[in-house]
Amino acid sequence: MYVIIAGGGRTGAQLARILVAQNHFVQLIDSRPEVLARLHKELPTEAIFEGRPIDPLVLEKAGAEKADVLAACTTEDEVNLAICFMARSRYKVPRTIARINNPRNAWLFDHKFHVDVAVNQAEIMASIIEEEMSLGDMMTLIKLRRGNYSLVEEKVPADAPALGIAIKDLNLPEHCVIAAIIRHGEVIVPRGITTFEPGDEVLAVADPEGARQLAKMLSPNKVGNGRTGNGV
Amino acid sequence: MKTEVEQKQKRMQIVVVGCGRLGSALAYRLFRAGHLVAVIDSSPTSFNNLPPDFTGRIHEGDALSQDVLVRAGIEQADALAAVTSSDAINAVVARVAREVYHVPNVVARNYDPRCRVLFEELDLQVISSTSWGAQRIEEMLYDSGIHTVFSAGNGEVEVYEFVIPERWEGKTLEELLPDEECLPISVTRAGRAMLPQSGLTIKGGDIIHVSATFNGSNCLRQKLLEQKE
Repeated sequence: MYVIIAGGGRTGAQLARILVAQNHFVQLIDSRPEVLARLHKELPTEAIFEGRPIDPLVLEKAGAEKADVLAACTTEDEVNLAICFMARSRYKVPRTIARINNPRNAWLFDHKFHVDVAVNQAEIMASIIEEEMSLGDMMTLIKLRRGNYSLVEEKVPADAPALGIAIKDLNLPEHCVIAAIIRHGEVIVPRGITTFEPGDEVLAVADPEGARQLAKMLSPNKVGNGRTGNGV
Repeated sequence: MKTEVEQKQKRMQIVVVGCGRLGSALAYRLFRAGHLVAVIDSSPTSFNNLPPDFTGRIHEGDALSQDVLVRAGIEQADALAAVTSSDAINAVVARVAREVYHVPNVVARNYDPRCRVLFEELDLQVISSTSWGAQRIEEMLYDSGIHTVFSAGNGEVEVYEFVIPERWEGKTLEELLPDEECLPISVTRAGRAMLPQSGLTIKGGDIIHVSATFNGSNCLRQKLLEQKE
C-alpha cells in the first residue's frame, strides 16, 4: 500500500515504523526540525517527507494522488480535518483515517470532512479504564472496528452463579455470544449444552450492556457487581 | 449618508471567530454599525485587542467545540466570519457554520497564501488578506497612474481607473487597451460618463475605467509607459 501519514509525533512515527516493517510504501510528513531529526534516526530517509502537512502542495508532492490511505495524525484536530477533506476531494484518496486529539471535537470527525475512520485515543483509553473498573476481572481484548462490540475475557471464579448451568439455559443477554472457552490450556468451542467450570477463561463478543450482564453471571456469588478484594 | 444606509440595514446577529488584529477590528466595526456581535477566541488576552467601548459578547473557548459555537449563537446567526491566524481553524469553522448550522453568510480568512486551495476546495467565500495586500502594495510601487477602484473576488479581476495622457489624444480605446484580459467599462469626459462605444476617439484628460486581471493591468501599464519614451 501507498500510505501518507501527516504528523510525525509519537502516533505518526509509530504507525510509520509498523508499516515500513510490513514493506508498505510510507510518506510521513512533518516540518518541525526537532521532529525530523528524531525521525531520521528511526525511519529510512525515503519514508520521510519534509513539509507542512496543511500545505496542499506538500500533500500533492508527497504523492496524494497515488495514495491508498491517508492517516492524519497531527496534534491539531482542525489540521487533521482539513487534510482528510483535501485528500478525498482533491486527490481522491480512497481511505482516510484521522486522529482525534480533543474528544470534544469528535463530532466533526465524519463525512463532514471526509473522515472514514476516526480514532479517539482519549476515549479508547478512558473506556478501557472504565470497563476495568466496573467489570472486575473482565478484560477487553479488542474493540471491534464497527459498532459497539468488543471481545472480552473473564475468568470464572469458584462460586459464580453461572456454574453448572448449560449455556443455552443461562439466559445470556441478547448482545452477548460466548466465542470460546479456554480450559486447562485447551480451547473448547462452546455448544448449547456446555457448562462452565471454575477456572475457565471465557471469551465472549458483547456490547457494553451484554458484557456487564455476563460479568454479573461470572462474578462471585456474594456481590453482584463492582467486586473488590480477592473474593475466594 | 453612510449611517443612513447602516440604519436601514437589518440588525444582524454575527459571530466573529478569532480576536486578533483583523478579528477585533472587524468585530468593532460590526458593533459600531449596530449589529449583535459575538467574538470567539481561545486566548483570553486576545480580547484586549477590542476597544474598551465594545460591549458585544465575548466567548473564550475552542471554536471547534460545539458548546462554544452554540453559546456564541451560531444557531441563530445571520453571518459568521472565521478570521483566526490558522487556516485550518478558519476552514473547519466556516464549513461547519455553513453545512451544519446553515448560517446564510459565511466568510473565511485565508492567512497563508499557500493554503488558499483548501478554501477553494471547501467551496468557501474567502478573503486572502495577505496576498491581496501584497498585490495592492506592488501596484502602488509601480506608480504609473493606474489605480484600483474595486476588487472583485480576491483581486483576480479588478476595476482600474486612469487618466488619458495628452499624447493619446485622437486615438481609439482599442489602440490603447491590451487585446487580452482587459475590458473597457466607461469613459468619463468633463464629469459625464458614457459607455465606451467602439471606435470612440479619446481625449487627453478622459478618465477611463477598465476591468482587468493583474496581467491585463500590467500590459496596460507598459503601453502607457512605452508611449512616454
